[in-house]
Amino acid sequence: MSRIGVFICHCGENIGRTVDCVRVAHNLENVPGVVHSIDYKYMCSDPGQALIKQAIRELQLDGVVVGACSPHMHEKTFRKAAAAAGLNPYLCEMANLREHCSWIHEDRERATDKAIGLARFMVEKIKYNRPLATIRIPVERRALVIGGGIAGIQAALDIADGGREVILVEKEPSIGGHMSQLSETFPTLDCSQCILTPRMVEVAQHPNIQLLAYSEVESVEGYIGNFQVKIRRKARSVDEIKCNGCGECQKNCPNQKIPGEFDRGLGMRTAIYVPFPQAVPNIPVIDRAKCAFYRGKAKGVKKAVCGKCAEVCGPKAIDFDQQDSFVTEEVGAIVVATGYQLYSIGKAQESETLRGYGEYGYGAIPDVIDGLQFERLASASGPTGGKILRPSDGKEPKTIVFLQCIGSRDRAKGIEYCSKICCMYVAKHAILYHHKVDHGRAIVFYLDIRAGGKGYDEFVRRAIEESHALYLRGRVSRLFRNGDTICVHGVDTLSGEPVAIDADMVVLATAMRAQPDIASLAQKLSISYDRHGFLNEAHPKLRPVETNTAGVYLAGACQSPRDIPDSVAMASAAAAKVLGLFSNELLEREPLIARVDQLACTGCFHCERVCPYGAIERKQLKDGKGRVIKIVAEVNQGVCQGCGTCQATCPSKSVELEGFTDEQVYAAVNAL
Amino acid sequence: MASSFEPNIVAFVCNWCTYTGADLAGTSRISMAPNVRIIRLPCTGRIDTLFILKALERGADGIIVSGCHPADCHYTAGNYHARRRFAIFRDLMEFVGIDPHRVTFSWVSASEGGKWAEVVDRTTERVRRLGPFRTYPRLARGAGE
Amino acid sequence: MQELRDLARRLLRENQVNVILGYECARRGVRPAFITEAADCDRLVFDHRCVHNLAAYLSPRRTHVRALGRPAVVIKACDARAVAGLIRESQIEREETVLIGVRCGGVVLDPADSSPLSSGNIAPRCSACDQREPALFDHLVGEPKGAPAGEASRDARLSEIEAMNPEERLGLWIGLLGRCTRCHACRQICPMCFCERCIADKTQPAWIETSPHSRGNFAWHLTRALHLAGRCVDCGECERACPARIPLGLLSRKAARSVASRYGYVVTDDPAIPTPIGSFQFDDGQEFIA
Repeated sequence: MSRIGVFICHCGENIGRTVDCVRVAHNLENVPGVVHSIDYKYMCSDPGQALIKQAIRELQLDGVVVGACSPHMHEKTFRKAAAAAGLNPYLCEMANLREHCSWIHEDRERATDKAIGLARFMVEKIKYNRPLATIRIPVERRALVIGGGIAGIQAALDIADGGREVILVEKEPSIGGHMSQLSETFPTLDCSQCILTPRMVEVAQHPNIQLLAYSEVESVEGYIGNFQVKIRRKARSVDEIKCNGCGECQKNCPNQKIPGEFDRGLGMRTAIYVPFPQAVPNIPVIDRAKCAFYRGKAKGVKKAVCGKCAEVCGPKAIDFDQQDSFVTEEVGAIVVATGYQLYSIGKAQESETLRGYGEYGYGAIPDVIDGLQFERLASASGPTGGKILRPSDGKEPKTIVFLQCIGSRDRAKGIEYCSKICCMYVAKHAILYHHKVDHGRAIVFYLDIRAGGKGYDEFVRRAIEESHALYLRGRVSRLFRNGDTICVHGVDTLSGEPVAIDADMVVLATAMRAQPDIASLAQKLSISYDRHGFLNEAHPKLRPVETNTAGVYLAGACQSPRDIPDSVAMASAAAAKVLGLFSNELLEREPLIARVDQLACTGCFHCERVCPYGAIERKQLKDGKGRVIKIVAEVNQGVCQGCGTCQATCPSKSVELEGFTDEQVYAAVNAL
Repeated sequence: MASSFEPNIVAFVCNWCTYTGADLAGTSRISMAPNVRIIRLPCTGRIDTLFILKALERGADGIIVSGCHPADCHYTAGNYHARRRFAIFRDLMEFVGIDPHRVTFSWVSASEGGKWAEVVDRTTERVRRLGPFRTYPRLARGAGE
Repeated sequence: MQELRDLARRLLRENQVNVILGYECARRGVRPAFITEAADCDRLVFDHRCVHNLAAYLSPRRTHVRALGRPAVVIKACDARAVAGLIRESQIEREETVLIGVRCGGVVLDPADSSPLSSGNIAPRCSACDQREPALFDHLVGEPKGAPAGEASRDARLSEIEAMNPEERLGLWIGLLGRCTRCHACRQICPMCFCERCIADKTQPAWIETSPHSRGNFAWHLTRALHLAGRCVDCGECERACPARIPLGLLSRKAARSVASRYGYVVTDDPAIPTPIGSFQFDDGQEFIA
């Protein structure tokens, strides 16, 4: 009943040299179901393909087996040729006679026998192939961007400029991310705020961007082209529509002495606050843990303890009773740009395997600060107005020591990777310090200098040669207070000499780490992450911004430590992927996915437990009167990626993976 | 006698790692024993223990099951599920007297063409030493009783 | 006993359930009872002859029992593990079933055996059991029981087989499985074998050969043991049902030993704990993988 054509390719001499292609073709001719079996010098050439097409048309073939190279090489070619001749492309299979046979064996006899065996596998398998139709899924052409740092901003703007709607979700009260905290940026020393703020404003004003600040992704359902995202809008206690951003509330808030997160504790904020003056949106939020009104309420005081902000608010925007609310958005693609956190070096260590650097006195010695705190000191909008002053006494430090690789590249402390940006920002700090402090002395302890990038090495040279920073190769073993100064004990490994420096200030270049709550987000999105918590790309070289879940893309430091140019490039790449996806109303995909035999399915849902994509859904089977007979598994065609783990797990084999069904595998094994 | 015996070995491999690794062995022209024939599946997650039993039944003297290393699965977790399934099945096989040395489980990545050749050669050699596995297919004829 | 009968009567009278799945005296020993009338509740018994795992009757495959309506079922600690399995695998709803837990000090091997429980006639699984009552129940009845008689060395035979060489093991199992006539009594009585269409009955393709020769029997019993790995509740019903007296429990206990030693997994009556096949740890052992 089958009318199978077998086409054995010599691949020039590649297969023909070790495999007797004529004998293979002759042998296959005698297999039941095969009506045509030939060999040819180059099957993939135009005349070779023409032979296949001609045979399909003239002999009404219902299956084609091409014995040639690896299907990874030419499966598409031959399936296309089959389709051009009117045969369903999934009725064409390849036997790998080159990579898996002629190229790895010398004995012509045995190689030929094996080639016959391999071709037989495919002939038997193809008898059970079914014509399959490409699956077309409608695409909701709006995107969600998670994270409003520079990567998220760039991705949102690029997608929005491409004419598609974007929902940008940021968990903090303002977008801007870490970049908004920076003073200047390497290697050009342009002011971070000056280049970032216009982009933040553009986000706020873009007609295609809907900004949801102070919000978090609660759950994600669906699949590529069709995600349903539930977003929690955290209660600001301020009505976003009424608020005009005048700032009266902040001026009148009695609690003015809260260490501000934006200034890394070096500056103070109020209980109702905007994180920084250029915040977008420029709407304050009440820190309920610190606000007298809420504290009073929590203690059970009947009369309102405070309410100053509400009293002075012109548009009556303060809403003490505001609750978290939820919105659900339909999107077709998701860009994850959740950024990073810094290695916690303080006394309070998170559990995990990380061990801190108690020996460096961070948190105990006030003039030991981290790199981001130095950025705030150097920033014109920072707590010191851009002057480098010691947190302890406000004096200008005349000797400053920078320590590189705090946390990074240190297996003993739990992180073996390089944080990539520290070499560069320490050089920047040394230059900024030189600009700001007359006759100051900057000393840098480093392990290696990694300055790969356009203008990067020149920049480090500039720190050394023009800003006269003293670079010492080695680690610091200990810091301690010595009266007014900090005694820094280390070793210069190039000279082999121990070094002791009396420093006025010490800056620790701490490692970049994955966000602490990344596992929960990754689970919501069904994407994977490495053991450090950085999100995994689909392929480290060829698919760097995609993930293994179709329709979910990565941008910036959530994937690995990245600097600003890298993050922006990645964000634009992710945006290009999203716009590519959105260029068609329908998404086409291979039909090699699972399908459930619902009559046989018992509904034990082992398949649901093993499916890596959550593609198994529960469906009620009803009788004519609408009564539920049983609940069975159903495969969501958009979500299934075709791994087949469900089928191997199903005890009754009531789920089949198209293209690799039990009958197909069974037939191949039977050809042994 | 054992040295002249050429075992018949079937390999069930995943498409993304081991199949591609075997392709690489080919492009690198790494010579190996011609006793192993590959059946391609998308993922080790798809590789059913029934395939192993059926292949033995059909006269295979040895089996190779191979896929992506842990954490490398194209489908993120198929190989982890497969690993448990194979571990328990292997214990059961051994318990009823099917020599587990006839079945090789391995992780071979797309870049490990050399390792694939080693797996093929090692398995071929080991199964050659064990001799033909006629007992199992012959059970149907009551030959074992 | 009266406590059980009173409870059953109340459940039926108050229409909380439509049928009580319990035990009653038969011509020889005890047998499962399906009581739908409150007046019949005095027929209910529970003692050391109540061997049967009644959870098997909850499976949706048992349409004739389902047709009787909402059930209450009498369960021992071992039976509760099967109930938990059925809940875990979406076969029954916890709320739809009333669970009458009974305290149990062990049962005999043969439900027709009316002599007092002793180390001579106790079911081997009971002598090793340390659970006197289920943790999963709605009502718990019966007097507290002492530990059962017998010694807890039931897996000696298992270890003995493990210590054999491969040829000896193969020979042993060819002998044992050669006796199987593929009557499938083991499957029918098993509370965890609830597939609508068993893999052994699937013919396109026929992975498991249907004719009762040793080769098909190997495939069948190996596959069944794998399917029961981490799911078998060790109620011993398959062995009791087997007319060929094949010690099938050896296979499922080997699987249980495998999941216990590899993944620290023991079957419990907590439906929230996932089965070992279907879950994984990144660092699961892989000493057998090259």
